[in-house]
Amino acid sequence: MTASPPLQLRHVTKRFGGLIAVDDVTVSIQPGQITGLIGPNGAGKTTLFGVISGRFAPTRGRVDALGRDVTGWSPHAICRLGVCVTHQIVRPFADLSVLENVMVGAAFGGAGRLEAGAAKNEAMAVLEFAGLAARAALPASALTLAQRKRLEIARALATRPSVLLLDEVLAGLTPTEVSHAVTLVRAICARGTTIVMIEHVMHAVMNLSHRVLVLNYGRLIADGTPDEVTRDRQVIEAYLGAGATIGGARG
Amino acid sequence: MISSASSSSPGGEDLRPGGGEEDHRPGASAAADGGRAAVRVRAAALLAPALGAALACVPVLAPRNITLLNLGFFTFLYVAQGLAWNILGGFAGYVSFGYAAFFGLGAYTTALLWLSGWTPVLTFPLSGLLAAVFSLVVGVPTLRLVGPYFSIATIGVGEAMRILMLNLDRITGGASGLNLPTVVPSKAWFYTAALVMAAIAYATATWIRGSRFGLGLAALRMDLEAAETLGVRTALFKNVAHMISAFLVGVCGGLFATYFQYLHPDTVFSFTESISLVLIALIGGLGTIWGPILGAAVFYAVQDYLQTSYPTLHLLAYGILLIVILLFEPRGLAGLAARIWDRLRPGAAPARSP
Repeated sequence: MTASPPLQLRHVTKRFGGLIAVDDVTVSIQPGQITGLIGPNGAGKTTLFGVISGRFAPTRGRVDALGRDVTGWSPHAICRLGVCVTHQIVRPFADLSVLENVMVGAAFGGAGRLEAGAAKNEAMAVLEFAGLAARAALPASALTLAQRKRLEIARALATRPSVLLLDEVLAGLTPTEVSHAVTLVRAICARGTTIVMIEHVMHAVMNLSHRVLVLNYGRLIADGTPDEVTRDRQVIEAYLGAGATIGGARG
Repeated sequence: MISSASSSSPGGEDLRPGGGEEDHRPGASAAADGGRAAVRVRAAALLAPALGAALACVPVLAPRNITLLNLGFFTFLYVAQGLAWNILGGFAGYVSFGYAAFFGLGAYTTALLWLSGWTPVLTFPLSGLLAAVFSLVVGVPTLRLVGPYFSIATIGVGEAMRILMLNLDRITGGASGLNLPTVVPSKAWFYTAALVMAAIAYATATWIRGSRFGLGLAALRMDLEAAETLGVRTALFKNVAHMISAFLVGVCGGLFATYFQYLHPDTVFSFTESISLVLIALIGGLGTIWGPILGAAVFYAVQDYLQTSYPTLHLLAYGILLIVILLFEPRGLAGLAARIWDRLRPGAAPARSP
């Protein structure tokens, strides 16, 4: 679309009272890539997603998405522009069916807003893609955790995002479920969607990511390929503890 | 639907920890529930026009039965308001205790225009419009609050309006009220007008429920933040829902003023009026179409029956009714009706046994 990167942060800082959750982060995300965002608990990863998705206005700095300055935009506007975020703790609309959950994304997200009928078809197509088509008629509350995570992704996908922010979609899944979810993430990327994912499941994120960013105490302390990052002294010390190495780095 | 799970999806099979067996049965029964609910909804959608047509015949068949026509008038007026209140309170989940303000504004708009020479019917759209505009003024700040905070704020707005109107005696007649022209249409006319209002409210609520707008309201009711991140303009949607329901209630207020020929701020702006709408929706079933209809019928029947002989006993009856409903059928009378319908319908009943 444009020469500018799909997502660009300049000196983004988010302060909650005396706590600096995100501290002067400057980074630009490359189109079509999967970028992993890792860091210890409380490093500010989710807050950074919150700033990008419009949930929080940054205290300082500027966020550009898809060629627009979106600093201070409301979440629905950012979603409509094409940047959609999933929630770390899954938040399905419990009383709606799986299909209706995805219809919300299809009907309201993205540039072309769909009427209920068209949204239904679109939602069904997304459910096929995400492997939830067989569960379409169930209430969302009847799903297992893995299915709910999948629903969270499907709902976001239905908004036809150019940039998808995935917040710990693998957390709490069994190894088999993780490998299925990894396949799904890869398939989304193959469709041309730029992905930024927060993840704690190391082998998965190292496996998936073209590039890994490491946050610690709100600061960006490393940025590179998974190999580079896992060899980075600062990362090993700050994130994994002194003397540790990442097991099974890049498979 | 369940049977043919095409798993050409990138994730492959559905992610289930154990084999499919465990998961299949609840899935199947839930889908059956869904199918049954769909049939029920369709049946209910046919029932409404039939019921409306039957009720429309009453003034033709019994034009002299004043008691019956009055009963119909007040019931339909409550049905219309209950349905309208439910658009914000039930669909969007914002429980307002301030709807008397819209009712009162509607009533006074009609009354004052009528006194200055307008035909009452022509004032109704204006009554609705004024109520809607006022709902926007109130809604923009208060709809930012959630849950009980919103409800409490609306109590404040409602009471403030009552006291304001009581003191604007130049305009509203204040504590001595306002006498309106005594030349009015027949009871049959009022009966039909209220029925039309109920039908309009029903059509509006039904349309909203099935529309993209309704989906957005349902989403924001269940999770405001998640709805927002999926592109729902939650602030706009809440306010539009508020305005639509306020418009309908405002028109009801206008119709009420025409009927009553005497207005007093303590009547039309009363907290009791606000509470009534909440009770109707709660008793009937929050967020359903048939809930406010059933709720209004029961509500007015109880009030009408008890108020003449025991003026305050109906409040006790509502209290008991409310407790019973919250304990045993939180989906209200509509939920109860659905349950009975499912049980009585042959074949649809327990397909659950393997």
